[in-house]
Amino acid sequence: MDAELRFVNVISDAQMKQHRKSDLSTFEYTYKAEITNIHRLTEMENLYRIQIIDPEERRQFFFKPGQFLMLELPGIGEAPFSISSSPARHGDVELCIRKAGNLTNFLSRVGRGTHVGIRGPLGTSFPMEQMHGQNILLIAGGLGLAPLRSAIAYTQDNRSRFNSVDIIYGAKDPSQLLFTYLYDVWRADDIELSIIVDKPDTSWKGPTGLVTKIIEKMFAERDVSFYKNTYAIVCGPPVMFKFVCNMLNQKDIPMQKMFVSLERRMHCGMGKCCRCNVGSTYTCLKGPVFDYWTVMNLKEAI
Amino acid sequence: MIFRVFDKDELKKLFNVMVSANKVIGPVEIGRDRDNKPIYAFNEVKSFDSVRLDYTTTKLPAKRYFLPFKENLATFSLDADDWQKKVDYNIDRPFIFFGLHACDINALNKLDKVLLGSIYPMPYYAAKRENMFIIGLDCTPQPYCFCRSMGADTALHGFDMFITDVGDLYFVEILSDTAFNFLKNIKTAEPVEDDHIQYMKVVSEKNKKFTTHVDTTDLTKILDMEFQSDVWKQWGEQCLACGTCSKVCPTCYCYGVEETIDINLHGAKKTKFLYSCNLIDFAEVAGGHNFRPERHSRLKYRYYHKHRGFVEAYEESLCVGCGRCGEACLAGITVPEVIASVRGEAG
Amino acid sequence: MNDPTPVRTYLGVPLYRPRVAFFEFSSCEGCQLQILNNEATLLDFLSLVEVVNFREAMKERSDDYEIALVEGSITRGDETGRLKKIREKAKVLVALGSCACFGGVNQLKNRFGLDWVKKEVYGDSPIETEYVRPLEDIVKVDLKIFGCPVKKEEVENIIINIAIGKAIVHPKYPICTECKANENICLFDLGEPCLGPITRGGCNSWCPNSRFGCWGCRGPAEDTNIEQMKKIMKEHGFSEDTILDRLECFGGFSSYAQELRKK
Repeated sequence: MDAELRFVNVISDAQMKQHRKSDLSTFEYTYKAEITNIHRLTEMENLYRIQIIDPEERRQFFFKPGQFLMLELPGIGEAPFSISSSPARHGDVELCIRKAGNLTNFLSRVGRGTHVGIRGPLGTSFPMEQMHGQNILLIAGGLGLAPLRSAIAYTQDNRSRFNSVDIIYGAKDPSQLLFTYLYDVWRADDIELSIIVDKPDTSWKGPTGLVTKIIEKMFAERDVSFYKNTYAIVCGPPVMFKFVCNMLNQKDIPMQKMFVSLERRMHCGMGKCCRCNVGSTYTCLKGPVFDYWTVMNLKEAI
Repeated sequence: MIFRVFDKDELKKLFNVMVSANKVIGPVEIGRDRDNKPIYAFNEVKSFDSVRLDYTTTKLPAKRYFLPFKENLATFSLDADDWQKKVDYNIDRPFIFFGLHACDINALNKLDKVLLGSIYPMPYYAAKRENMFIIGLDCTPQPYCFCRSMGADTALHGFDMFITDVGDLYFVEILSDTAFNFLKNIKTAEPVEDDHIQYMKVVSEKNKKFTTHVDTTDLTKILDMEFQSDVWKQWGEQCLACGTCSKVCPTCYCYGVEETIDINLHGAKKTKFLYSCNLIDFAEVAGGHNFRPERHSRLKYRYYHKHRGFVEAYEESLCVGCGRCGEACLAGITVPEVIASVRGEAG
Repeated sequence: MNDPTPVRTYLGVPLYRPRVAFFEFSSCEGCQLQILNNEATLLDFLSLVEVVNFREAMKERSDDYEIALVEGSITRGDETGRLKKIREKAKVLVALGSCACFGGVNQLKNRFGLDWVKKEVYGDSPIETEYVRPLEDIVKVDLKIFGCPVKKEEVENIIINIAIGKAIVHPKYPICTECKANENICLFDLGEPCLGPITRGGCNSWCPNSRFGCWGCRGPAEDTNIEQMKKIMKEHGFSEDTILDRLECFGGFSSYAQELRKK
């Protein structure tokens, strides 16, 4: 026999051309996308509007609220970001990004028209369809509004499918409030918006304190029956969502009807590198969206 | 399953057929330690005489051939305002592992589960795995081996052929047609009942030689119960946080990704490097928060991943009991001792 | 030399070409030599930065610079004044190599009385000398580049990152991580002492690659387990003096060494 082993090309040339069809080639496949606009939200956060350049790829890009993508700047790095825009917009996404590291600092220096890479969408999502016909509480602390914004946009796009929609949003001070230009639109779409800041400035007229204060007020105002048909999405730092979820649980909202989003530093986003593991759970595969029951049972989560 | 026996002299012929047309990786002696004991490694071999069929355990696993410590995931070429990404899986020809022990074959089988079997299979690993021809080789249990406790002392699949020394003959188990065809180059015979008896005798002799045991009963639960146990802190005080255990582990696959820019600014690289969960910044996020700042929390995480998380996902542990980590650990931290201490059986 | 700095961009972001000056104090100047060492990348290197002062490589001198790369430790009074002047002019002061970062081999003399040192070295014609100090004892240091000598590839990477505006992050892990990836035989297996388990990585295990145990020139890794290191040395039959020799050699472990000496 011929003793030489045959080389196996795991992705044949034919498959290369139709990359989406091969599982293997999707692993490192990057959509090329363009930053079409940069909207300054606060001193620290920008909203980047990023569009997949190829129209067909853009149309085929389906994601759900709560999912994230990996954003890559060649030579600078790659990092995960939750998508802030409406899923109806497909591969024309918005990312709310805080300057916190190498990639995000460089990103704050690039201009419109810059080409970036996108991998994804990745991870689990808020089960919005499951929430149809119910009341929905959207509670955010700080940058937690970034993943929540996609869920808000979904409720706006599908307003008839939800009963009451509440957004309860807390920030450290008024200068850190995100998406301020949307508040009137949300209210006009029949969303109850309550904003609270911890450290008010002289011009601040709203309530002062933590989101829990708003929730207590809500508890005082609303009938017990309200909570029977209510889902909650809580996004923010672990101390915050732990406190809020425990409060909501007292009103008998089951832990499986409360969803949180965990923030970890994924390097691959695809369940391989283990950098985002909580206990022994991959945040990128089993999360970032978890129901609160699951989070409670994760070692190291809170 | 197909079995054959062949004369010991025939193995060299088989090797020569293989090496004439292929890259062959085998166990070799690369030096002697301070006690004059041989130090083994998996290197490319050209001559049969350099292959040490009697090797005990290599210091490092054969990992660099399928999970290189450092590997380019992609390269970029950049011009004024655009860039192109090029992905290469970094293998261009098949290769042969000539003499992997059962533990190292089982390590590959375990890696297959997470790197090939889950969603998002990893092409860099797949490309190498698909181009691997594996000859397994039986072994003699060493004092640090606890593969039998981990159910990794025999390999059921994941190789092309497995050779066992049964005294005067080699007994070979054949799992692939490629292996079957290779064996046509040498003189083999159908085993007779005496050969079967001899094989079983060798196996039962081997089983008696294990001296280290790990009790894995209910381990996933016990790890959960003892999450806050003080024993972790004691091991954490010993740990050097140097990552050696992960580097010498045949199943540790965790990694980090880094991008660098060429000095002429016209190119960039995306590089994957195997990282260890014991290193201080393994769970550090942008902005500086570290989810596991203490040594003991990182050491505990490593046991969690291997002996709980993986079991939950795949019904088996991510440890093959090769004992390399304990042998390589300068601080003397060994898996059997850590697990015994968590079980409250500190010796 | 008065050509306007060409504007380069990376992903559309204009890059700034900083004016760089090299200086040396008490040292062997080997770190600067390292930078000149690789002709293949030297031109690219010079296109990222404008070198205005480099005694080892050029005649021209200028006091107009943004980044000062300073090699060497401070051992004389006049050096202190010169260093302070450099600090005033530089926006970024980089300590280049073990001498600048920790005092380097020079600081070995700190173990002895100055009078004895003077007599030993200069005999009957003594010159002024002080206890050796690293740069940061005198001025603010913005960035340290470790190693004796520094590693050319590492310096290049740092310069690229400065030009691009990427943060410079040193490896936090110890040398062992790199040594294992290089598939070296552990020096302890060979009966050699090695500070690899506690010394900051980034040199790609330069010395152990040549079967030469680590002497800790890059200083401690983060989360260094010195107690365990001492135990390991002892278990492998190395005396306390062997450990101390290594810990004290470059000055990066001086606080640990002092602690050990007290006992």
